[in-house]
Amino acid sequence: MSPAFNHYKLAGIILPSIAATAIVAFFLLPFPTPKQTLIILSTIVSACAAAAFLLSRPQPVYLIDYACLRPLRTCRVPFATFMEHARLCDFFDEKSVQFQMRILERSGLGEETCLPPPNHYLPPLRSLEGGRAEAELVVFSAVDELFAKTGMEGKDVDAVVVNCSLFAPTPSMADMVVNKYKMRGDVRAYNLSGMGCSAGIIALDLARQLLQVHSKSNALIISTEILSPNYYAGKTRPMLLPNCLFRMGASASLLSNHPASRRLSKYRLLHVIRTHRGSDDRSFHCVNQQEDSFGQVGISLSKDLMAVAADSLRSNITAIGPLVLPATEQLRFLLALIARRALSSSWPPYIPDFRKAFDHFCIHAGGRAVIDELQRSLRLKPGDVEASRMTLHRFGNTSSSSLWYELAYVEAKRRMRKGDRVWMIGFGSGFKCNSAVWRCVRTVDGPPNGPWDDCVDRYPVEVPEVVTFS
Amino acid sequence: MEFLALFSTIIFLHAVLVLLYNLIDKWRHRNCYLLDYVCLKPSDERKLPTNLCGEIVSRNSCLGLNEYKFLLKVIISSGLGESTYGPRNIIEGREASPTLSDSISEMDEYLFPLVDSIFLRVNQSFHLSPSSIDILVVNVSMFSPAPSLAARVINRYGFREDILVYNLSGMGCSASLISVDLIRNIFKSHKKKIALLLSSESISPNWYNGNKRSMMLGNCLFRSGGCAALLTNDPFLGGRHGKLQLRRLVRTHLGRSNEAHTCACQKEDDEGRHGFHLSRELPAAAAQAFFENLRVLAPKILPLTEIARYLLASVWKKKTTSMSTVNMKSGVEHFCLHTGGKAVIEGIGRSLGLDEKALEPARMTLHRFGNTSASSVWYVLSYMEAKKRLRKGQRILMMTFGSGFKCNSCLWVVMRDLDDCGVWEDCIKGYPPKTLVNPFFDKYGWINDPNAEVLVQKFKDGMARGEKRESLTDLI
Repeated sequence: MSPAFNHYKLAGIILPSIAATAIVAFFLLPFPTPKQTLIILSTIVSACAAAAFLLSRPQPVYLIDYACLRPLRTCRVPFATFMEHARLCDFFDEKSVQFQMRILERSGLGEETCLPPPNHYLPPLRSLEGGRAEAELVVFSAVDELFAKTGMEGKDVDAVVVNCSLFAPTPSMADMVVNKYKMRGDVRAYNLSGMGCSAGIIALDLARQLLQVHSKSNALIISTEILSPNYYAGKTRPMLLPNCLFRMGASASLLSNHPASRRLSKYRLLHVIRTHRGSDDRSFHCVNQQEDSFGQVGISLSKDLMAVAADSLRSNITAIGPLVLPATEQLRFLLALIARRALSSSWPPYIPDFRKAFDHFCIHAGGRAVIDELQRSLRLKPGDVEASRMTLHRFGNTSSSSLWYELAYVEAKRRMRKGDRVWMIGFGSGFKCNSAVWRCVRTVDGPPNGPWDDCVDRYPVEVPEVVTFS
Repeated sequence: MEFLALFSTIIFLHAVLVLLYNLIDKWRHRNCYLLDYVCLKPSDERKLPTNLCGEIVSRNSCLGLNEYKFLLKVIISSGLGESTYGPRNIIEGREASPTLSDSISEMDEYLFPLVDSIFLRVNQSFHLSPSSIDILVVNVSMFSPAPSLAARVINRYGFREDILVYNLSGMGCSASLISVDLIRNIFKSHKKKIALLLSSESISPNWYNGNKRSMMLGNCLFRSGGCAALLTNDPFLGGRHGKLQLRRLVRTHLGRSNEAHTCACQKEDDEGRHGFHLSRELPAAAAQAFFENLRVLAPKILPLTEIARYLLASVWKKKTTSMSTVNMKSGVEHFCLHTGGKAVIEGIGRSLGLDEKALEPARMTLHRFGNTSASSVWYVLSYMEAKKRLRKGQRILMMTFGSGFKCNSCLWVVMRDLDDCGVWEDCIKGYPPKTLVNPFFDKYGWINDPNAEVLVQKFKDGMARGEKRESLTDLI
């Protein structure tokens, strides 16, 4: 693990003190003998080498703050509204309506999730301009709130990374943000698309790469999913699932590597681990955008999704384990691995106890089944996945921004303390499993200031297995 | 004391070595080398000559005489030749109803042959398998399915699980250099990495079927193309096999200006038809972005003598209130300009004071391949290489423009004499041709005939009755 202190400060202390000592010595002390010169030189050069070594370490990256979209009450879609809407759309037959109802009953979603305004029309409006309007609504709300919290302005931003999987107009959403906030001409804008629900961590990784190269910079990361142009108006069941589960959401976060930002920031980014299982056909096809037999475009989720998610998680924890687990857990994992390889493959794999490495877990709220599967795979307690379940209940599956809603839940519940470690896990089409590890550098106190302001006291709620409604 | 002296000597030597190692290591790995690149040449049945364009235009039933006139004028004076390529569904007559599978198969037809050929080429000089690729960046601006096109490529070629993959979309015609910038940034914090860059554009879902003029221009200019490039920061690999070395890269974003931001964008017209809108403010936005970029780039690449001369000349000319131009040829031997259109190439040529020889690669690429969006600069580079103009030590300036509005430029240095014909192999001998004038210039002169409107109406009535006609020109 990297040292807790800022190694820039250390280098900044070493070099001037060497210079000061050298100057003092030169003027005050008698001219040294060759042996003394050698001793002095070796001390100085070793100190310089140590300083150079410290300076070449990766720059620490801090999260100054983040903001999540607070959806409007007018966009709320309780179950009754959703079902009535589905019945009134003539492109759904009775079987599709019943299927959607069954999915909704078992989904783990609550009555306060939101859909964007075009989806409330009959039939839902699907247009480029509608998508742009939705993008402006969700992205600008989140960014405005972030700028208000941090006191930043557009011209202070050095890099913008936007990820939105299913909507990528030209000019991109990153360009739209540059335009709205009048950012500088040398801003580095990147727009990631098509990368699924784990793209938020990919955007985080990209921003981190940029901050390793450019010192005293910051990066604005925006994660969202635009729903209205992608509404599925057909009857194929695997393609109806996204209509039922995906909801409106967006997040904006500000990363910085400026030494002065350490005092202001909440978290430090420790690791980002990415795993891509695209070379396996079953993984690649399990979340697939396709046309049904009537030419309607939608996202199809295959029945293999849970198994694929479990496989990709296993690959990811194999990569992340050595970086975060205490030595005892790593040893046990290694011994079990050797036993499986050398003795017999029926030897049960040892699942490390990640609760010894992390205090909080933010698991992508992809659906109830995903959270159940991860709870089982990682041997977590119900309290560990509470943030994910409650986010799914309150906001639905907001795709890549769900991790930030979950983090906001932990903070709103006043559970985040200085020194706590957080594990964010995202899954997405491709199939990818990406993780980010954060450490809290400042206990988050004060009144809640996030999307859970008005409702955190009602949580946690007991989410029944099946919600029945007529 | 002796012991202390000995100990100090050892510490001193060790510290010196550590310092030197750190410095040399950083210096060696900070460079970005272009190992090789290939450009896409689709098969001959995908060619879009002018008469085929005329047919496609005439299939659009909502065009009137004025629109025909406008379109034909644009097609004839666009600078595009008879061998540019289009997507299959448009040539087969299905441009009005593109499906998702059309778009995906179009991208498969571009990306997979590119990856196949780049691996084939590099395996002739050194061994490189898909599992050696550490970074994959795919940029296709106007089509972004889920799973991403990058994931499609990973699925087909079996790249490693820990690959760093980025799928950029919506970034316009300058996305290629944005991808190079991304790769270069990753290289600076990792050692010995190999990156694969795939750059292309999707045309079939973006064909405009309406009658708004600003949106019809895209149909006349954008053509199929793509490129794959292998980059590395491994000093051994790059030093031995590299073609070009990246020296500078400057990005400029003019998004803060509303006119610049909306001058090139995807839109729906009043009837809800999708298309790419190019507004009248485009040349002004391009010029502004260009000068902003040049202001940052020029001091980095020009020799001191030229900078001094320019400063003196500006001070002098201020008194006479005229603009002085900087002589880019003092710092750059070759110019790789984005083939956005004839006007773009001529505009840059005027601003930089470039002669015909310097603009020839861009003009010829526009003629042979059309505007292939982000990958166009690689075709221009390939032309220069095919003409055996790239000699060791020479510098190449790549300049691209894109929606947003962005202007990105970079400077490459040639590492060895290059002579690979690449995608120009079968036609380089015919370039430059005697004339770039469209061969149908005379044939379509009828559009100015006073009876043209009657002819057009007769043609439309004939089509409605089901009479088979090849094209409008049959009526003459």
